[in-house]
Amino acid sequence: MQSLIRYAGWMMASTLLFSCNEGELPVDQGPTPITLEKPDYFSDQQVMPSDNPLTEEGVRLGRMLFYEKKLSQDGTISCSSCHQQEKGFSDGLQFSPGVNGTLGSMNAMALSNLHWQTRFFWNGRAVSLEEQALIPIEDPTEMNLPMEEAISRLQGDVDYPGLFQAAFGSDQVTSENIGKALAQFERTLISANSKFDKWIRGEVELSPEEELGLELFFTHPEPSIQLRGGNCGDCHLGFLTSGAPNGFAGFHNNGLDSDENLNSGLESITGNPFDKGKFKAPSLRNIALTAPYMHDGRFSSLEEVLDHYNEHIQNSETLDVLILEASNEVLDPSEPIRLYLSAEEKQAIIAFLQTLTDEEFVSNPKFSNPFN
Amino acid sequence: MKNISYLFLAVLFAFTSCDKEDETPAQMNVKITFDNTLNGNPLELNQEIFTLPSGESFMVKKFKYYISNVILTDSETNTQYIETDSYHLMGQDFNSSIELGMIPSANYDQITFSIGVDEVANSRTDQTGDLDPNNDMAWNWNSGYKFVVLEGEFIHESTQERTGLVFHIGNNQNYATVTLPLSGLAAGKPASISLETAIDELFSNPNTLVPSNLASTTVMGGPVADQIGQNYADGFIKAN
Repeated sequence: MQSLIRYAGWMMASTLLFSCNEGELPVDQGPTPITLEKPDYFSDQQVMPSDNPLTEEGVRLGRMLFYEKKLSQDGTISCSSCHQQEKGFSDGLQFSPGVNGTLGSMNAMALSNLHWQTRFFWNGRAVSLEEQALIPIEDPTEMNLPMEEAISRLQGDVDYPGLFQAAFGSDQVTSENIGKALAQFERTLISANSKFDKWIRGEVELSPEEELGLELFFTHPEPSIQLRGGNCGDCHLGFLTSGAPNGFAGFHNNGLDSDENLNSGLESITGNPFDKGKFKAPSLRNIALTAPYMHDGRFSSLEEVLDHYNEHIQNSETLDVLILEASNEVLDPSEPIRLYLSAEEKQAIIAFLQTLTDEEFVSNPKFSNPFN
Repeated sequence: MKNISYLFLAVLFAFTSCDKEDETPAQMNVKITFDNTLNGNPLELNQEIFTLPSGESFMVKKFKYYISNVILTDSETNTQYIETDSYHLMGQDFNSSIELGMIPSANYDQITFSIGVDEVANSRTDQTGDLDPNNDMAWNWNSGYKFVVLEGEFIHESTQERTGLVFHIGNNQNYATVTLPLSGLAAGKPASISLETAIDELFSNPNTLVPSNLASTTVMGGPVADQIGQNYADGFIKAN
């Protein structure tokens, strides 16, 4: 029935186009639509923005722009400088140098499965990938190039006007279409062939240690019924291991700092004091490749991350209630917050996290530098 | 091409049928909306401080619940509309309405639905849509769904410390079916059924819960969870 309606729709649409376009370009010269190749256990409910459907030409252009150093003031860096494929599209640094070596103040986020995320940057200030993609170009601590200059550089290039024409039907470079093309390429960065994925699909078995880690990862501890848990899956949800996609529900204060040292985080966007110290829960896909960790890159290893959640949680006014309320032992509320995982359990969670590494993703030629 | 002519016929028919004013359309558009409240006030997450039936102050961080197996009944003619594949994840700042779409016309005067998901759906998590286990409602990987989730914080009376209150209520015994009378629905007329949840009812009637007196402020099973299940079975959702 659905295909019938679609068929009828296509017929009507083409009739319409024919009648309007007489004597102009033939109708079949638009960009070629493509669908996102995703496993069936990634949600179908996340819709593609209607004003930026995925096309072959859009993705090709976006990939070039992602690796285009002309988009930085002095021509030395591109998006890919801080988002390197072999490191799960992160850069291995606590803070990333922009042009002239200016350091930012946030850790460059790893990129994958972005279609299922709805707020971008650690503090959530961009509502779409299209919006997000443009901001680092102009940011003085990143690529530091005024948008007008970016547009005129691309417009003056031999190839880009033709590529914009092919992707968006106009050879006029616009900031909107730069953002759209980058977003399209970024949506194709799907990581779904890790050992964890193969386990979901029933293709491989996990080792007993990895399986214990998986169980702990996805379990909120409940000492009254001897249910042991690592409490990770409360924020890193489901197969994607990323934050909740609705509103700001995927932002949390994960106990890095006490009230005196709490950064504003989400509060700087919402103005709500109860959002102070909340940051985006990132996807943990390829996490073993994306050190250092946290919004400020303060932890250099997964061991330090597990130690933090297990024994170094700092209480504050906005500490997430699911952390405040999580322990593997019955706690008196006056005691410091501790998860009470054993050393073996922490190691098991790390073993599970390592199954999230997707070698195919980090070496997929479709995502690599097209200028090489 | 044949398909299209049917489509045109259908459109044509839709227009011509307007001429006969007294004829009740065969179908009517129905949607159900949910307004969440606490202490008689509209719920707001993460900013407003509410008062619980116990008198304690409470800030809500998350409130989600499953509504499933929706049935509308016209008790005079004994007509029923039974929604198929009827699982809806509702929640504050998440989803507040169920679109039944065009359904057969009747003077529906009753709505029946369940809080939670039925035993069949609750025995598997390899599902899509509102039952997608990535929705933060599947429990511990492979053991069914949370039916009602309430998370928030309060000041504990004995310690005066900020304390989390976490209700994750599930399990088949807490699947609750509710029937409510409806008024104002007329056959053939588009209708919006307005329902209201009262979070207060998780804490009272018949079982009174005082967060500061709970042995554990995280409730994910066991006798307290079943008490909350009994509480939401009656009076938690009302016709507005």
